[in-house]
Amino acid sequence: MSSDLGALMSATFHEAGHAHLVELVHQKDRAARRQLASVRLFAYDQDGCPRLDQTLDPGQEILDVAALLDEPARRHGRLLVVFDARYDPRIFPYRPHHYGYLHRQDSAVPPLYYAVNATLGGVPDRIGAVALNNFETYLFLDRPMTGHHAVAVGNLSRFAPADAEVVSYYEGVRHVETVRLAPKAHTEVKLEPERDGHRLRRVELKALFRMASYVVGRRAGGELVLFDHLFTYFK
Amino acid sequence: MTPGLDPALDAEMLCYCTTLTFGELRAACAAGAWPPANKERTGKLCTGCQGDLQYCLRALGVRGPA
Repeated sequence: MSSDLGALMSATFHEAGHAHLVELVHQKDRAARRQLASVRLFAYDQDGCPRLDQTLDPGQEILDVAALLDEPARRHGRLLVVFDARYDPRIFPYRPHHYGYLHRQDSAVPPLYYAVNATLGGVPDRIGAVALNNFETYLFLDRPMTGHHAVAVGNLSRFAPADAEVVSYYEGVRHVETVRLAPKAHTEVKLEPERDGHRLRRVELKALFRMASYVVGRRAGGELVLFDHLFTYFK
Repeated sequence: MTPGLDPALDAEMLCYCTTLTFGELRAACAAGAWPPANKERTGKLCTGCQGDLQYCLRALGVRGPA
């Protein structure tokens, strides 16, 4: 049964061949290190099949995701990586957010530092997140796009399939793509850089319930240049 | 035992915002007392559990919101 502990389920994606480090908790105070009460890691392939279930030491500050998941990712492709954490709300009055470091091995492209997507829990009412957060938005920079962009989306539910609608905007032109995801399944929805001569300006993700999602940008050679979660606001 | 909802899940978390477990949901539905006190916002905050909540309420014979 439930306890007084808070709960957060956060998620990212992992592909083989990348250095990928994730903080279990972002430490803000050198004099007072804080830690979760417990944390488990799950990894799922694109069809939602479990490929790893591992209890982590909550005292561990930095997790080497690549060391744990490169081998299953080589065999099964991109993995949805889920962190299932319990924490004392007195220690974390704010959501125990955490960050990741991502860098393709042997790449000259700078590494990416990103916020891990807090998908379930983290008491959004207490942290003042009042907007609907199953509708999310990402605005692209106002400069020509190079390479390929996509929205990586995963369904963290246990039982319920989800229809995720990815809506991309090209000036006034709107393009909708809907994907159905089984529980724990995930996919990437590619975004055309231009449609009808208009440049991609914005993308939205809509679903009945909140999904794990990131906007992903890759150079022509596949090197990651963007890995960022969407935001729950509309401009 | 309720068909369609494995009791082995009882200790697992359903709603990460209100920290409602599957077992608490089962007990509340069996007692005709859904939603229990302080769990009224289950499924309505981050919304991430909304699909599972509706699935479980149907499995437990309780109608969810339209």
